Formats: sequence, structure tokens, C-alpha cells
Amino acid sequence: MQISSHIGSQLVDLCSALLLLTCFAIVAQRRLSACVDLFALQSAFLVLTAALVAFLTGNHHIYIAAGLTGLIKVIIIPRVLKKVIERLNVKRELVMNVNVPAGLLICGALVMLAFFITQPILPLGFLLTRDSLAIAFAIVLIGFFTMIARQKAVSQMVGFLVMENGLFLGATAATYGMPLIVELGVFFDVLIAVLIAGIYTNRLQDAFDSADTSHLTVLKE
Amino acid sequence: MLQAIILVVAQTIVLLAVSPFLVGLIRKVKARLQLRRGASVLQPYADLAKLFRKQPVVSTTTSWIFTATPYIVFASTLAAGLLVPIFVSRTPLDFAGNIIAVVYLLALGTFFLMLAGLDAGSPFGGMGSSREAIVASLTEPAMILSIFAIALTKGSTNLSTIVHKTALLEGIAMDPSPYLMALAALLIVALAETGRVPVDNPATHLELTMIHEAMVLEYSGRYLALIEWAAGLKLAVFLSLIANVFAPWGIATTLAPTAMGIGLLAYLLKVSGLAVLIGILESMFAKLRLFRVTELLGVAFILALLGLLFFYILRS
Repeated sequence: MQISSHIGSQLVDLCSALLLLTCFAIVAQRRLSACVDLFALQSAFLVLTAALVAFLTGNHHIYIAAGLTGLIKVIIIPRVLKKVIERLNVKRELVMNVNVPAGLLICGALVMLAFFITQPILPLGFLLTRDSLAIAFAIVLIGFFTMIARQKAVSQMVGFLVMENGLFLGATAATYGMPLIVELGVFFDVLIAVLIAGIYTNRLQDAFDSADTSHLTVLKE
Repeated sequence: MLQAIILVVAQTIVLLAVSPFLVGLIRKVKARLQLRRGASVLQPYADLAKLFRKQPVVSTTTSWIFTATPYIVFASTLAAGLLVPIFVSRTPLDFAGNIIAVVYLLALGTFFLMLAGLDAGSPFGGMGSSREAIVASLTEPAMILSIFAIALTKGSTNLSTIVHKTALLEGIAMDPSPYLMALAALLIVALAETGRVPVDNPATHLELTMIHEAMVLEYSGRYLALIEWAAGLKLAVFLSLIANVFAPWGIATTLAPTAMGIGLLAYLLKVSGLAVLIGILESMFAKLRLFRVTELLGVAFILALLGLLFFYILRS
């Protein structure tokens, strides 16, 4: 039992490390469709992490949450986003508010920040997933940073979804997942948010012939 | 004492003999993937023999740096190679320097190559040196950080200790994430440092893209042979470092003759496997534009940094 829980905890750690790695890949990636693919990959790692936690702890409701994550974030949302990208006349993001190497360095600093903030809390926990809390926090921060650093609506949406993935990982790490009814509500929220943001991006495209959200700052009554 | 000297000599011979073979193997793999038959894997040996017989031509405008550089580069790279465990996990020279010494011995060679590129005063040499300076200054932090990530997990910066502990499965219950990140970072660094495809193309002399070839454009005869051999040695050092730090299994942990035989065989298999991998990677990717190289090396730096951070985050 001791050894198997040790290996299990290591596997969870490895999966959450891969989640964080895909975050960095999203920050470094300029092609919009590749960003969406990377988000789908990240969600797949999230499903794997959640399934592992469910298997190791015997909390069966996490399986349902993992299955829903797989359905919504690996299949449906990437498809919706791909549809939106098809309508756009921009395939890659050339101008960013922060360039790629600087963005990567800032994200490295954000990981350190997340680590130092969660450091005092970690010894209080006894769950086998508690190491993932720092990583989950870092993913939320990096998602937030992506929303700030990018100009195109689609990559801002990807940043929002990455944040959501971080929150889900954090909930799984800190408390073995939220109650199922809350999770269902969150999934529904995210799905609707992406659909609305997709329609909004299309409107943006029609109005300005670009998906650049910085155009919105010049809107007047 | 005598045993140690014999081991050092044996390691020198293995390194010197293996490096042209690795260069030839990568060329062969690339040729086969392009549906060409390609030159024999032994071709680099013949090239070196030919170059050593040719008379070198030295420009009258050059200083002593130009003629001294091939010897400095060759000697520093070989010295770095002797600090890396090759087929015995405890190299006799492990007292002489740790993994940080290896990094800076290789950097010393790069530094003199850059000086020699500038020395002859040709525009290509200067261009190659300036590009090499960009690449070298960006690979160094990534390499040092990934090395620290490994050194932290093993509690030592001494390469022999790191390899010996890993080979004896000590501390194998450590988290694998720092290792994976450091491995990925070191692979990118190795490709950049040895002038391989995403960063530099060793197969062309196209002036717009070349880095290493531009620096050594003025060299001929035995000087060129030494520089080419040193470039092969550098590749061998990097591949040995990656193979023996991350997968040291099979390496001889004792000095018994059978163990050393198995160690040598395992070493040859591992570095050949890595050389084939590099050949495949070179065929899969196109060379990056020079200003995109910084992004690739930025990714290597971040991977190494993450490896280091994961050691602390996932310590429990």
C-alpha cells in the first residue's frame, strides 16, 4: 500500500507536470489552430490526472467529472474553436503584447510565484495530490497571462480555458474534486461561455474584419 | 595508478574512434530517409585521413590565434570528453573536474573558434562568429540549469557520482519530472551546440544560413581535419552525456573485464541509437530562421527551469 500510493502520487505529479508543460507550449505557439490542439492535449492530460486520482482514492464521482472533461474540453470546445478559426482571415498571431521569449520568462517567474505562495499551505495537507496545488495555481496564472499577452479573441479564449483547467486541477488536488452538482454547473458555464465567445468573435470579424480585441477600445457610443 | 592511466588512454581511444563514426551514421540515416544510398558510415574517417595529408594554407593576415585554435579546440573538447563517464561509471579523472567544468571546457573551444573566425578578417568568418555568439550565449544558461536540476536530484555535481548512483539504482524512487524536463532541455541544447538542423545545417555552405561552417571557412589541411574531428568529438561528448546521465544502465560499475566489455557494447549501442534519433529529427524538421532560434533556445531554458522548479515543488 505504501509503495503503490507512492508510485500513484508520482504518476499524478508527472501528469500535472505535463499539464504545466502544455501551458508553456501554448504560450510559445503562434498558430491559432495549434493553440487549440495544445489545449485539447492539455485537457486530455487533465482527464488522465482526474482518472488517476479517482482510481487511487476510490472517489467514483471524479470519474464522471473526468468523463465530462473529456467530452466537453477534448472534443466539443476544440471543434467549436476550430470552426471559429475557419471563419477568420488570420491563421497565426504575429503581433503580441509581449513577445514569445519574454512571455516564456514571465511564465517561469509566475511558476516560481505560485510555488512560493502555496509553499506555507502544503505541509497542512495530507492528500496524495497536494503537490499539484502549486502547479494548478501556476496554470491559472499562466492562463490569465495568456489572456493579457494575446490580442486575438481566439487565443484569449484559449487562455480563459487554460485558467479553467487550472481551477479544475486545483479543486482535484486540494479536495479530491468539488461536489458533482458544482462540477456540472461549471462545465455548463464553460461550454456556454465558449459558445457565446465564439459568436462574439464572429461578430468582431464581421464588424472590424479582424479578431483583434484591441479594436474594441476605440468603440464609442 | 597504472590501471587509471590505462583507463584514461582507453577512454581517449574510444572517444576519438567513435566520433567520426557517429557523424557518418547521422549522414547515412539522413540519406536513407531521403531514399538515397548515401556514403559509407566510414566516410568521415577517410575524409579526416585525406585532410591530414593535405598541406594547410594560412592567410598572411592572420595572427597566432588562427593556427593555435584547432589545437585548443581539439584539446579542450577531448578534455571535456575525459570527464564524462563513457563505459566505466567512475572515470579516473573525476577528481579533475565536475559537470560545470565540462560545460566550460566546451565553451572554451567555442570561444576560440569565434576568435579564429574573426581573425582572418573575412566577412563570412565574422558573420559566423556573431551568430555562434548568439547561440552559445543562449545555450549556456539552459545547459547549466538542466545540469543543476540533475545535480540536485542526485546531490552531487560530479558526473561520475551522478552516473554511478543512477547505474546502481540509488534514489530511483525520485520523481521523474525534473529528469524528463532536463532531458528535453539537454537534447535541444545538444542540437544547438553541435550545429544540427533546427539551428544550423552541417550539410550546406549556403552563406545566408551557415554558422559553424562560416567560422571555419578559412581552414584547410590538417587544421580543418582537427576542427572537424573536434566537432565530431563534441557531438560524441554530448551524446555520451545524455546517454549516461539519463540511461546509464549497462555501464561498468566495477573494473572487471567482462563488465567493461558489456559497458563498451552498451555505450556503443546507446550513442548509435541517439545518433539515429538525431538523423531522424534532422529529416523531420526544417532549419529555423536565425531569429526564431532564440525562441527554441528560450523553450530549452524554460524546460530546464521547470525541471529545477519541479524538484522543489514535487519534493515530498
